[in-house]
Amino acid sequence: MEILIQQFVNALSLGGTYALLALGLAMVFSVLGLINFAHGDLMTLTGYAMFFAIGAGLGMPLAVVLGIACATLAAVAMERVAFRPVRDANTATMLLTSLAVSTILHMLFQNLISARPRAIPVPSWMIGAVDVGGLAIGVIQLMSITATALLLIALSIFLRRSTLGIAMRAAALDFPVTRLMGINANAVVATAFGLSGLLAGVAGVLWLAQRGSVDPLMGFLPVLKAFIAVVLGGLGSLAGAVVGGFVLAFIEVFLRAFLPDGWLPFRESITLTLVIVLLLVRPEGLIGQRENVR
Amino acid sequence: MNQVSTTRIAAVAAGLMVAGGTAQGDSHGITIGYAGGFTGYLAPYDQPSLNGVQLALDQINAAGGIMGMTVELIVKDTRSDTAQASVVAQELVDDGVVAMIVSCDVDPAVASGVMAQVAEIPSASSCASTPTLPAAVGPYMFSNYTADNLQGAVLAEYARGQGYENAYILLSRDTPYTEKLPEYFGEAFEAMGGTVVAVGEYTMGQQDFSAEVTNIGGLDPSPDVIQTSAYEPDFPAFIKQLRAAGIDTPVLGSDGIDSPTTFSLGDVAEGVVFSNAGFASPGSALEAFEMAFEEKYGTPNDTVFTATGYDLMMVIAAAIEAAGSTDGPAIRDAWDNLENVQVATGSITYKDQNRVPVRVVALNQVSGGERVHVGDFSPDPSMIPAP
Repeated sequence: MEILIQQFVNALSLGGTYALLALGLAMVFSVLGLINFAHGDLMTLTGYAMFFAIGAGLGMPLAVVLGIACATLAAVAMERVAFRPVRDANTATMLLTSLAVSTILHMLFQNLISARPRAIPVPSWMIGAVDVGGLAIGVIQLMSITATALLLIALSIFLRRSTLGIAMRAAALDFPVTRLMGINANAVVATAFGLSGLLAGVAGVLWLAQRGSVDPLMGFLPVLKAFIAVVLGGLGSLAGAVVGGFVLAFIEVFLRAFLPDGWLPFRESITLTLVIVLLLVRPEGLIGQRENVR
Repeated sequence: MNQVSTTRIAAVAAGLMVAGGTAQGDSHGITIGYAGGFTGYLAPYDQPSLNGVQLALDQINAAGGIMGMTVELIVKDTRSDTAQASVVAQELVDDGVVAMIVSCDVDPAVASGVMAQVAEIPSASSCASTPTLPAAVGPYMFSNYTADNLQGAVLAEYARGQGYENAYILLSRDTPYTEKLPEYFGEAFEAMGGTVVAVGEYTMGQQDFSAEVTNIGGLDPSPDVIQTSAYEPDFPAFIKQLRAAGIDTPVLGSDGIDSPTTFSLGDVAEGVVFSNAGFASPGSALEAFEMAFEEKYGTPNDTVFTATGYDLMMVIAAAIEAAGSTDGPAIRDAWDNLENVQVATGSITYKDQNRVPVRVVALNQVSGGERVHVGDFSPDPSMIPAP
């Protein structure tokens, strides 16, 4: 029983990181219909900003702030430079643009900084664990769960209360009509990118605290996981992305914890099979809306 | 029309003559090719290897070249892509290289190696450590790096020497290195009287090891030692979560964690022992290499792959010298019989080893964020698991 609760906490913490990343992807998808494959590279940028900040002797708290700010600004810049010129092109063009942005960033990191990983020393207090009713919860896990909860609350307030937030939700439903209501399209799109960068920055800090180093290709795998979470939750649904992130993490952690030894090599295939089964049952995703066929 | 054809034929013929001349290694010099993954996922290994190769080349040419001929290196990027590795290798063959260095990973190394094999040009992978690689390609393919079974045996010998009875091994089937090395360790550990109590599996890039750590905590009997060949980002994540869960079982790693990250992990990495290709003790060849490296590139060396790249270039030079010719089959035979070639990490022997070299394995311990030399080991051949 104790192990079960422990694994539950483990899944909650991993799910938090997946949810933050998936939410960032979903936010951009909901307004532009673009899956931004350069999203993971925003995490990498956070890492390099932190690496250089720590190298300049700025200390961890400032490095974290700079890292997240860097990802946010980079996301906005990415939209302005790469995606705005092709905004009216078809989705395949935008998808390829995002892959190109990602590849260019990889090559720049590899050739201008280093192909080798760069260490990010994590303060020792972040490495310990706290004892909560007999459960050992890692400080990083605790931070991950807390940060996810706070960000989700703040975001839902923003999306429900502010004009820009309401405009973003409206744009997710029907962008052309939202523009007819007098909403500035550029502002909505730039905000969506900025928020996705902020989410990627926070997820990046949590990811980096676990791995202790930044390397040019580190964003690739997380963005794949986030993509699976987004599809699982329902493309275009913000709540769906969060739910998808948590469901994916629960499947992964519980399979790794409780599969018999002989089955372990197949855990990834079993995870993806379960995802496919869920999608067969609910093709629109867990929380996705059924498209009206006209 | 006729005029154009004649000109074109003449141009092609001239090109062929130049290429033929280079292949025979005339006074123009000797050409070596490097088909490596300088961008993409192999860049962290092939870029440093290339730096080491170029340093060796500078020293060889400064000392008068090979057999009095200057050595030229043609470098081509495979983009870490297996199909491209094959195309690039064919281009190098057409360029008339007399020996070829190929990527650090097994799949592209095989793709390039097969091209060299067909052209009867000897080739070697910069740092692939799978001991079955040369046999998979044929008699013209060599290994350079410390083989996985050798490292596994050294780590097992050390573990038994410390009195560890029960081992837990953590492996990933994503690459031969992360899968086979722990398995070789387990095989050698059991052959030496120990017991492997459980085998855990992870996926490379997996951020979260909490499930595995919780399982280790619940093992009965609890392991005396944990062995893994996980490297970053997996290794730091694993050991942080292991120590955070209050498990202080000793951990043995392999050369993948020989990186500045490991030494900046702080308390969690304290006491970790890992194997690698050599330790730069004062007065050693490796120390001299590190100094020469810093002089050439202006930054301190931070990985052993530079040194093993340097070693490989020195081995190729020794093979050509020993063959006394730039003829592929002659170089191959000489290479296969090399003994005690003095290189940056110590010495290398190929004779009677089926093209997988015997080289020293050093054990290092992380202590106070510094590297401490545990010792250099060459295990009893009967204790090295068969590949």
